[in-house]
Amino acid sequence: MPTVTIDGHSVEVERGATVLDAARYAGIWIPTLCYHPALSSEASCRLCMVELDRGDWRQLVTACNYPVRHDVIVYVMSERAQQARRGVMELLLARSPDSQELKELAERMGVKGTLWPKVTESQRNCILCGLCVRVCEQIIGKSAIGFAGRGADRTVAAPFRQPSEDCIGCGACAAVCPVGTIEVRVHKDECEVEISPFKSRVKLLVCKQCGAPILSTQVCEQALRNVGWATCLPMQACSQGNVGMGRKSAHATFWPELRKRLRLCPKCRRLQTAGRVASP
Amino acid sequence: MIDAPARFASIADFEGFARSLRSQDRTGTRSVRLCMGTGCQAKGAARLYELFEEAIESASGRGRAGNIEVKPTGCHGLCQRSPIVVVEPAGIFYQQVEEPDVAEIFRETVLGGRAVPRLLYQDPESGRKLEAAEEIPFYKVQQRIVLSQNGRIDPTKITDYIAAGGYSALVKALTSMTPEEVIAEVEVAGLRGRGGGGFPTARKWRSCRSAAGGPKYVIGNGDEGDPGAYMDRSLMEGNPHSVIEGMLIGAYAIGSEKGYIYVRNEYPLAVKYLRTAISQAQEIGLLGENILGTSFSFDIQINRGGGAFVCGESTALMASLEGRPGEPRAKYVHTVESGLWGKPTNLNNVETWANIPHIINRGGKWFAGIGTEKSKGTKVFSLVGKIANSGLVEVPMGITLRRIIYEIGGGIRDGKKFKAVQTGGPSGGCIPAEHLDARVDYEELTNLGSMMGSGGLIVMDEDTCMVNIARYFTDFLLNESCGKCTPCREGLAQMRHILQGITKGDGQAGDVEKLQALAEILSGTALCALGATAANPVLSTIRYFRDEYDAHILDRRCPAKECRGLFIYQIDAEACKGCGICLKNCPVDAITGERKAPHVIDEQKCTRCGTCWEKCPFTAVLKV
Amino acid sequence: MNQDSSLIEQIVERYDRDVGMLIPMMQDLQAECGYLPTDSLRALAKRLNVPLMRLYAVATFYASFRLAPKGAHEVSLCMGTVCYLKGSAGISQAICKEFKVAPSGTTADRLFTFTAVNCVGACALAPVMVVDGKYYDGVTSESALEILQGLGPAEQAAQADAKEAAE
Repeated sequence: MPTVTIDGHSVEVERGATVLDAARYAGIWIPTLCYHPALSSEASCRLCMVELDRGDWRQLVTACNYPVRHDVIVYVMSERAQQARRGVMELLLARSPDSQELKELAERMGVKGTLWPKVTESQRNCILCGLCVRVCEQIIGKSAIGFAGRGADRTVAAPFRQPSEDCIGCGACAAVCPVGTIEVRVHKDECEVEISPFKSRVKLLVCKQCGAPILSTQVCEQALRNVGWATCLPMQACSQGNVGMGRKSAHATFWPELRKRLRLCPKCRRLQTAGRVASP
Repeated sequence: MIDAPARFASIADFEGFARSLRSQDRTGTRSVRLCMGTGCQAKGAARLYELFEEAIESASGRGRAGNIEVKPTGCHGLCQRSPIVVVEPAGIFYQQVEEPDVAEIFRETVLGGRAVPRLLYQDPESGRKLEAAEEIPFYKVQQRIVLSQNGRIDPTKITDYIAAGGYSALVKALTSMTPEEVIAEVEVAGLRGRGGGGFPTARKWRSCRSAAGGPKYVIGNGDEGDPGAYMDRSLMEGNPHSVIEGMLIGAYAIGSEKGYIYVRNEYPLAVKYLRTAISQAQEIGLLGENILGTSFSFDIQINRGGGAFVCGESTALMASLEGRPGEPRAKYVHTVESGLWGKPTNLNNVETWANIPHIINRGGKWFAGIGTEKSKGTKVFSLVGKIANSGLVEVPMGITLRRIIYEIGGGIRDGKKFKAVQTGGPSGGCIPAEHLDARVDYEELTNLGSMMGSGGLIVMDEDTCMVNIARYFTDFLLNESCGKCTPCREGLAQMRHILQGITKGDGQAGDVEKLQALAEILSGTALCALGATAANPVLSTIRYFRDEYDAHILDRRCPAKECRGLFIYQIDAEACKGCGICLKNCPVDAITGERKAPHVIDEQKCTRCGTCWEKCPFTAVLKV
Repeated sequence: MNQDSSLIEQIVERYDRDVGMLIPMMQDLQAECGYLPTDSLRALAKRLNVPLMRLYAVATFYASFRLAPKGAHEVSLCMGTVCYLKGSAGISQAICKEFKVAPSGTTADRLFTFTAVNCVGACALAPVMVVDGKYYDGVTSESALEILQGLGPAEQAAQADAKEAAE
């Protein structure tokens, strides 16, 4: 296993691990924005720059995708590495001056502010890190949003800048967004969930008992498909036991029960269970 | 004309055919070579072609034609004097030929064997009329290897290429060289990438050959995006088979069966000729399965670019070939290991590929004998801008910029003063007069803060404002940035903002230092080479023309008098005839004066729109 | 609609349904339609089984793709370095002002689509304007406006010429 020496601390990592992996393993903090362990590394924000010792010269590389193939020496806190990261952060602060999250990260990096004016348009502080785009493509498998345009005009958008037909309203994009650009909005009156700012809307499943919104109907469908719901309908198919759910007997009762319980919000489901426990 | 058989089943068959083509008796054949490159076509070459055809037809009707052919060719190079017509066998070179001239050329030269003096090139120094291209200074200093057949062969006929020795290098490689020997030969030649980076070609090939996994791909990069450069276009239009032959040899050396040529969308003619060339090569078995009956198989597909400068970058180009937006990715794992579709991929510029057949045919040693210690062979440049002879030139590496600009290019137009030459495209830099004796090689140009790039040489004169040109390139690069990484997208936007301020007269003390700080961020942290070099135009102009920046910022003055608002208009009282044209055209009534008496511009009222300057028939309006 | 789906089918088959050839397919679609109609992109995405977003991303990334119908004529003004040095920025301004058109936009009467392109690689002719595939060299603001004012309304012949030039 190759050894990575970071600011004098050595750790061994698997071949092919990244410098960032090694740093995290060693407990050394490197700021990141566009990195997420569940997603591919695009190294687009350039915030995780570190210095790599090349023997007679040093090269700035991005920690999040630099693969460790043999022993390497890396400097995270060298003057040049810090300056590079600060320079990138100052540009991001100029783009999205109102982002609280960005300001906090900047402070942690020792960046007080930025000397650059705001010259590029950003939609609600979006820094174009692309985590939302990647999670929608790589984890959800939908690509309901993506990058549109290029250069300074690049934005995250749904096709034709219209509400996306592919969006299932899962909110994964909002969950990974590091600067709070994407929001999940629940429209109770219309029983719809909206992924903002893309204006994509999906019907919500509501609790049969109390009428509270539970989750997007399409997320529910996709989740059921993922656990084999689709192949289990209708019930006859189920009795043949062609789904990897275990014994036939368990099977016959499992799906109708699950379906029923899915129509309840978590609170009503708990109440129902509690009631059952109380009076069997 | 010999028709090629359907498909050559063996190398011997092909060689027999090539021999018969090459030994064809051409005595008595008179040929009119007509440049059909984009430049000459724009000046009506297609119509000239028709007229020559008609002339031949009517002459043969009268039994006088004999063996006369009119041959459409690729770019001859001297685009300044287009359209260009060369009449063989004497090789008489005519320039700026117009439709009415065709009859005279046909009668006098083609049939009569005499030159038409008024259409010949006149040497500006001696005043002599020159008959042959070789005598013209523009051509004399050049050394044409890659372009040797440009303007000689018909790019739409594979037989023309074969007759001129084409595909003999492929035969040589297939019959007498192992792939390793091919690579070794290229290594001896010292060939380096002609697309900009100057990476040793043989080393790239060897890495790709030894990379694990397959299939392996080879790519010809013809996405010539640098504004002011058209070497690759002329090569693909003028001699497409040389690129194909080079790629065939490379594929054989690397062990690839599939190639792509990626051509800029703005080059429709290049796409057309390459398509024709590929299908001709496929027809006779020079591309496809079991080439010339050997076990080597290789085919090439053409992809048109979508109009994105960034696709000249290798990883962006590969993304584009995969049907995605052309966004570069980190090259920590090289493309020779993991490129197109994650497979080992060898990408070279089309000019690099076109050098290969010559190296194989004449040997690496011969090639290495041309050029400087570290930069071998020749380089094609498009010599353009404020220069007397714009055109396509091929020169040995190591030649000085001065010789290119003054001997080949004929110096600056309209008697103006040279200010700078911009090399290397938007990522290159501007080189000033004091470095005109610099030698053209990879290292020397880099040391001067510029680079070789793909080969644009844009000459600027005293009327060019260097701050404005830096703004132009920054603007260009920002528009063409893919927008993926922060420093390129945001940093260039900041640079443009500052440069716009300076050229508008809003520059602040410290702006230059801010530009330098941004340049440092860009070069250190940008994701791809285009971003990392994007500050070069700004840095090189600051390095050599700092006084112009200071004049803009501190004195609110544009020394080249290009930036509106940073100079004023005045009327030269001696030159003014008092005609009243400026007065009539001034949109804000800032000009006063009696008829036939010198007029005066009221500086307070003047909005510096420049209308008077444009309209004055006596050039009496001056920029000061 | 039926015609449209057969066109998509033809284009997809032309490239053996290879998703890697998405850009050439979209180029062919644009050559046929003059632009990329939304419904055709939807149909193409469905046929290739790729997310619509990918087609939209490609269409907005590359400068040569158009999502709106073009004018009867195609006018490109070269903005390459040499053309710029020789005054193409002023020509562009003059055209935009005279015809009230934005760069990469189409005139209100759909007479022409105006594009300021990076470099057409004909630097010896600078400044260059290309109208329906025909190159005009050494243009000035005046001569450019004159050429454009001389453009006739949408004629089939002109469109056929443009198509031929595009191929």
